Amino acid sequence: MPLRLAILLVALFAAVSLVSLVASYAFTQRSFEQSIRADLRQDLAGFRAAPNARAVALLVEAESREADPNRLILSYISPSGRIYGNGAIARDDEGFHIISLDPARSEFEGAYLSLTDTLHGGLITVARSRAEIRALGTVFLNILLLSLLPTVLIALGGGLVLARRSKRHVEVMSRALDRMTSGDLGARVQIGPRWSDDLREIGGKLNQMAGAQESATLALKQVSSDIAHDLKTPLQRVALYLDDLERHLPEEGETAELVQKSQTEVADMGQVFQALLQLARVEAGSPRERFAPVDLADMCYTMAEVFEPTATALGQSLTTRLEEVRPVEGDKALLGQMISNLIENALRHSPPGSDVILSLKEQEDGIRLTIADTGPGIPEDERDKVRKRLYRLDRSRNTPGNGLGLSLVDAIVTLHGATLTLQDNAPGLRAEVTFPR
Amino acid sequence: MKLLVVEDDATTGTYIARGLREEGHAVDLVSDGKSGLIEATSGNYDVLVLDRMLPEVDGLTLLKTLRAAGNVTPTLLLTAMGDVEDRIEGLQAGADDYLAKPFVFGELSARVAALARRPQAQEAETVLRAQDLEMNLITRRVKRGGCEIDLLPREFALLEHLLRRKGRVQTRTMLLESVWDISFDPGTNVVETHISRLRAKVDKPFDSELIQTVRGAGYRVVA
Repeated sequence: MPLRLAILLVALFAAVSLVSLVASYAFTQRSFEQSIRADLRQDLAGFRAAPNARAVALLVEAESREADPNRLILSYISPSGRIYGNGAIARDDEGFHIISLDPARSEFEGAYLSLTDTLHGGLITVARSRAEIRALGTVFLNILLLSLLPTVLIALGGGLVLARRSKRHVEVMSRALDRMTSGDLGARVQIGPRWSDDLREIGGKLNQMAGAQESATLALKQVSSDIAHDLKTPLQRVALYLDDLERHLPEEGETAELVQKSQTEVADMGQVFQALLQLARVEAGSPRERFAPVDLADMCYTMAEVFEPTATALGQSLTTRLEEVRPVEGDKALLGQMISNLIENALRHSPPGSDVILSLKEQEDGIRLTIADTGPGIPEDERDKVRKRLYRLDRSRNTPGNGLGLSLVDAIVTLHGATLTLQDNAPGLRAEVTFPR
Repeated sequence: MKLLVVEDDATTGTYIARGLREEGHAVDLVSDGKSGLIEATSGNYDVLVLDRMLPEVDGLTLLKTLRAAGNVTPTLLLTAMGDVEDRIEGLQAGADDYLAKPFVFGELSARVAALARRPQAQEAETVLRAQDLEMNLITRRVKRGGCEIDLLPREFALLEHLLRRKGRVQTRTMLLESVWDISFDPGTNVVETHISRLRAKVDKPFDSELIQTVRGAGYRVVA
């Protein structure tokens, strides 16, 4: 980016200088030409003062003898056809030429501006060399080569060096940011002594931010573990009391059933708690530190097998369309949890007789995991809300589930740099998770 | 077996110790990390049951200290957290197994038994046997009373796991972890379903129960 800016600025500078140079050249050239033309008119006016053709001829002869033909050419063709002066107008196939009357040279080199008029029955021609204008062109070319070009080269070189250096510094920052986003909480920008002030400031701010993030994550860890300890200790006691109670009761009967129900509730409480804790950890992004290649097809196959009894019990079927895909960098346990939550969600909301389809394939934009059901779906305006913690659609209040399922899915998807879209399966819900290439 | 339980909550600790004693183990109970460390290094224990959060010396620190000192007593870590990260931290610190609270006693007892008699050097076995059942790990064929039994790959893996731990209870979550490689509870009865399919093939035609259900705990293959 800074490199492109430097090149752009130099190009702009060069273009502006070139335009102004060309413009002043054109302007100067025009005024030179105008002054030459004025000289020519003045010359003619001088000859017009002569009373007759003879006098003109004498005047032309006299003046041309003193004039340098490289600068000034005079020619008079008298009414009788005689040519006076140091040149003559001749005509051939290519047009008019001024030719020399000196036998040593036939034609004049260089360009001339000429003015021809009739005078006392003859034809008078005055021509002045354009050499001065040519010289002007050379002067401007020299200005261009000796002043503008070196300036542009120096500016470009300096710009490149500066841009390269700032690019290196920005890269240092970018690498630190990459490490931070990939979960390395201790990553900091190493600010060098030659850094520019603004980069220094940005780097410092980044480090401040990273520090705050690190302490917030550590605090979250501490708070979570404190809460976990305080809540789970009594829950653990209840679980053990219930165990004890169960052992003192006969295996069958109403009381035994009550105990079993209570045990299930305790286990569920533990699960909800675990899900909340997991969500907090995933949202903090820390599991990214231990990402490894995961075989999604294998995992989908296992999850389909795991949920097959549930589907059968609900009178539904679970179909898989799995293709082999390249491994995805991720957390195996969390990806498994994600697929599990999506399947569970689909099964829970579909009526008996429906078919839940789990598919996996490699697409143009990445690996696509799709779970499609034929349940009631989610109205379009509520699709974003279901990703929020503990949000449940009103009409699903009477179905089990703690409302954490999709929010955990969303958090896991985000952690893996993937995208989750919830679409209408007409009827039903079609959840697509795409892992970009 | 001689067991050490380090648990700061008195109620939980007492219940665990009592339950384990009832199963015939000798159990020592301490309630803080410092005494835990002293006991663990001085006593010769078969299994250590260690709470992760302890006063004085934290459970993870205790475990790391033990391992650094060369003590390899099999350790079951109890934790209030129980998320993926916590689990990995625990295993990295040197825990052999890991149990999230709240747990039922049967789960704890099964895991302690599994730790004490972890399969060692049995890897070389090519044929596993229980009563008149025979599983050949090379040809992947299962026979009972001379009759060939056809098993699906997962059923084979499940039976193999149980046979390798003959006589020991395997809980539902232990089976999910080992046979399905799932470290969280998906809340389905896939284990129950597979056990009942396995029974239909392995037990039912022979009219004798090889795979037993242990109430409040799990399953085991009769030794």
